[in-house]
Amino acid sequence: MSAIKAENLSKTYTGEGAPVTVFSGLSFEVREGTLAAVMGPSGVGKSTLLHLLGGIDRPDAGRVEVLGSDLEAMTPRDRARFRNEKVGFVFQFHHLLPEFTAEENVAFPHRIAGVPEREARRKASALLARIGLAGRGDHGARALSGGEQQRVAIARALARDPKLLLADEPTGNLDAAAARGVFDLIRELHRERGMTTVVVTHNPDLAARCDRLFVMSREGILPSSGLPERG
Amino acid sequence: MRFETFVALRYLAASRRRAHVALIATISVAGLAVGVAALVVSLALLSGFQDRIRRQMMDRTAHLRVSPQRGARLADAERVAAVLKSLPGVLRVTPLIEGRAWASNAAASAGVPVRYRSASEPPAAPGDAGITGAIAARLGLATGDEMRLVSSRSRLSPIGPLPVTALVRVGEVRRGSALDKPGEIEVSEATARLLAGAPSGAGAYEARLADPLAADAAARAAGRTLGAGYRVETWRELNGPLAFALRLEKAVIFLTVALVILVAALNIVANIALTVVEKKRDLGVFTSMGASPGSLERIYLTLGAAIGVLGTAAGLLFGVGLSLALERYRIVPLPSDVYLLSHVPFAVHPGEVALIAAFAFLTALAAAVLPARAAARLAPGEAIRLSR
Repeated sequence: MSAIKAENLSKTYTGEGAPVTVFSGLSFEVREGTLAAVMGPSGVGKSTLLHLLGGIDRPDAGRVEVLGSDLEAMTPRDRARFRNEKVGFVFQFHHLLPEFTAEENVAFPHRIAGVPEREARRKASALLARIGLAGRGDHGARALSGGEQQRVAIARALARDPKLLLADEPTGNLDAAAARGVFDLIRELHRERGMTTVVVTHNPDLAARCDRLFVMSREGILPSSGLPERG
Repeated sequence: MRFETFVALRYLAASRRRAHVALIATISVAGLAVGVAALVVSLALLSGFQDRIRRQMMDRTAHLRVSPQRGARLADAERVAAVLKSLPGVLRVTPLIEGRAWASNAAASAGVPVRYRSASEPPAAPGDAGITGAIAARLGLATGDEMRLVSSRSRLSPIGPLPVTALVRVGEVRRGSALDKPGEIEVSEATARLLAGAPSGAGAYEARLADPLAADAAARAAGRTLGAGYRVETWRELNGPLAFALRLEKAVIFLTVALVILVAALNIVANIALTVVEKKRDLGVFTSMGASPGSLERIYLTLGAAIGVLGTAAGLLFGVGLSLALERYRIVPLPSDVYLLSHVPFAVHPGEVALIAAFAFLTALAAAVLPARAAARLAPGEAIRLSR
């Protein structure tokens, strides 16, 4: 069964200057439980694709079905609830909120869902311990190393036990050792929680350790023949 | 604590670490506080004076007056007096006799037209009269001097019409009261009857109450008992124009000084708009975690409310404290021979303080609406994409 089914997606950014068409007529499908890697040159719209799949951005045309739900048919409020319950995001620059501690950052998805503060903090603390950051919960985001920051970002993405994890170059800003550690953690948690995971990466070694590899270009996105399809 | 409140308060607390935001936040809170304090002190000053005028109204004006709907005299004066006396809380019922006269000093060296009326409070001595400072100045009179009143009506005598006159003693010279009409004097009932040629009856009856604030209820009761054909007025209605002027004065001062709060509100708009721009990436991240546009809007509305609460509380504390100190220690003196007051009075009315607090808080909240809506409309994907 498909966890992600995107059909004929088009996206054009209209800001200052001429409109920029990122992609047009793009289709993409990932089965449930798959750890998929997306590779491709910069500027082809990998991050935009993840934003569309997670419902934080909307396509100009096309349809996105995630975990059986049509994102375009939802109201903004329903889409927000869907993201909170079903989708976790990890960004390249971790995007931890600097005014808050690691534990508070991880507790945010729970607090947005209306979980009482104490309960949210207890869950966040347990999750931080699970990813090897017990005792670091009271530290501000700036007091953590790059690898630790990204681990906290992963914990935040998994706080609500989502069925879909979307990671946008989660290791792109880390040294080789830290990158390996973070990717191992993503793989481990993917297996442990039975999620569907889509990782955008420029690292072929890490991509090779995924279940499936997709290559994205100006022409679209295609499964690579280099990796067998599982799941 | 709700998620939105938690984030807004942390943003406000953390703004201290960002110098430019801290400066604008401080100006926002301080501006609001100054506006609130200015409003509290201004209204306390006005209330101080107006309370005294209102007390004079209650002391010097009849609390109830019954007059005929038509004509200058009550047809059944005794019934009206009896009805008024039967009302609960009535201390005294007196007839109102009034007319026009010419007043001159004993030497007849100066004269002035006056309007006399029977006093609602009996004078200290039967022949005493209460005059205003203006009449005293025109006639060169002081307390204890004699004054001659010549009525506008005359009486017939075998030798033709003769003027009706009365010699009275100046019992009181009233100064500095907003209630005094320049050409009006108060005389005893007997003197007024003599001058008006009305040995019985009255143009109206007036009553004084133990509790002037109960005048409305008493007026309704009197109106029900007397039925149609009578006009029953309370001291508030009798002083209607003055009371309206006092209310108008307060409203104008409120609106004028409230402009300071509106200027402070513009600072709040700038402060919150700056925070929205600074925290654009956070908004994108909150969206990715499942925060709805309404939730993002509430973060910034809460921020505006927090600034409103801080500024309003600081302003109230300062304004109320200053007003109470000015009244308690009589810090601003007045020449008492001119104003009958030794100091500028200040009176803090809880209702007005509550009104100022509500106005300041709601203005701060309203100032947050525009930037908060802008935050809710922000494209989260773009916010994340551009903040790399």
